[in-house]
Amino acid sequence: MAVKLSANYSKKLGLPGFSSHSFSASVEVELTDLSQVEAQCQKLYQLLQQSVDHEIQQVGFVPGEFYGINAVDQSGNNGHRTQHANCHTNGHAQNGSGRGYNVNGHSRASNGNGGGERWNCTDGQRGFILRLVNEHNLDKQEVEDLARQFFGTGVRELNKMQASQLLDELLAKVGQPRQTRHRRQPSSSQPQPAVAS
Amino acid sequence: MSARTTNAATTASTPGAGARSEKEIIAELLQTVSASRLTLFLQCRLKFFFRYVLSIPKPKAPALHVGNAVHAALKARNRARWLQQPLSLKALHDSYSAAWTDESEGKVDWAGAEAEEKAIGWRLFETYLREHPLPEDLKPDAIEVSIEADLREHGLPRLVGILDLVLQSRIIDYKTSSTTPNPERVAHTHEVQTSGYAVLYRHNTGQRELGLELHHLVKLKNPKVVVTLMPPMSDEQQTRLFHLMDAYQTGLQRGDFVPSPGMQCACCEFFNECRRWK
Repeated sequence: MAVKLSANYSKKLGLPGFSSHSFSASVEVELTDLSQVEAQCQKLYQLLQQSVDHEIQQVGFVPGEFYGINAVDQSGNNGHRTQHANCHTNGHAQNGSGRGYNVNGHSRASNGNGGGERWNCTDGQRGFILRLVNEHNLDKQEVEDLARQFFGTGVRELNKMQASQLLDELLAKVGQPRQTRHRRQPSSSQPQPAVAS
Repeated sequence: MSARTTNAATTASTPGAGARSEKEIIAELLQTVSASRLTLFLQCRLKFFFRYVLSIPKPKAPALHVGNAVHAALKARNRARWLQQPLSLKALHDSYSAAWTDESEGKVDWAGAEAEEKAIGWRLFETYLREHPLPEDLKPDAIEVSIEADLREHGLPRLVGILDLVLQSRIIDYKTSSTTPNPERVAHTHEVQTSGYAVLYRHNTGQRELGLELHHLVKLKNPKVVVTLMPPMSDEQQTRLFHLMDAYQTGLQRGDFVPSPGMQCACCEFFNECRRWK
């Protein structure tokens, strides 16, 4: 009796503009007996990984500087999802330039103003936002939506003050609220009775 | 480092200082400055030394605790309004109570008056809610946001601070107080803070603030709110602030921690340590 072995390899990588793309490849082979499974798995894994890695380097369309701005202005919504066979893109930012970060969460060497990678906040804030997104598997579109909910603008357009506020929200979201409380000295330097008349 | 201040300090335990040397702590304090730290340095350098260099532990002042709890409730109210999900009075009280039970900054010696103080703080907050509702269609620009300004181009430390509320480009700072602020003096007495906030705002938004407001929540038998409106920081005010920051930097570099005896010593938590200073 023939044995069918199905193998699938999938990879998802981040792209500029809070988007990502993924690619998967599947094969099905017939084996004459079960003793071949281990060797075939090893062989297929290497083959599929090599193939996917080779193809996924072709990033295709990447949102540009002002991608989607007109659509947002007209429709009032932000972000949309497009689906193509075998390639799913999610969370296109609607507000401008792309910026790169890879699956390991390392942003590209950045001066914040690299080719099509302009963010209004500091490089440190940008790196922190991206690190939180990656380390805690946050949905990039949700982060984008959060920025729009609070500030009416996309993440890349946030100024430094807004980015700091967004970071507070993200840290609270991942259970690491930033300690913003500080020693508030009473307004008066005089001894403070409980109640003054 | 002044040997005299070191002598005074030997009588104090310094668990908060950890393993760092005074030199290292001062080097760190030279990197950044906040409005409250700068204000304290200008009020009394020795008090600054006790609090920030030696980190001599002191019980948290009741007034400070009340202020923190009221701030927490205000933050909850403002944030909910921002998200257009207004909170019930009970939910706000829960925020207030949660902040009240937070002892991360140390225990408070209530002298048996905790329940009374808690009620006073809440009445204060309720008064503010009644008299200063946030218009429903107004969205804040920022709520209790930590920001900083790199002032290296002026040869100054990095300025750090937290803006309580920014609303329509106006910077609002909440204060709890046991006495009614003097309207003629309040702008002057809080100038370090308000100018600091204006510098922070401008550096982080690229815009000039439209004005500054101090909202004093005054703890009287019948609580009241006093709002002081101020214009945007002037160039002269910014220059004054930078001069003061320069004095802070120079003073720290010289280890210039001398006391400033005066009326304010009556309520200083470091009075005993100060008396031992030689």
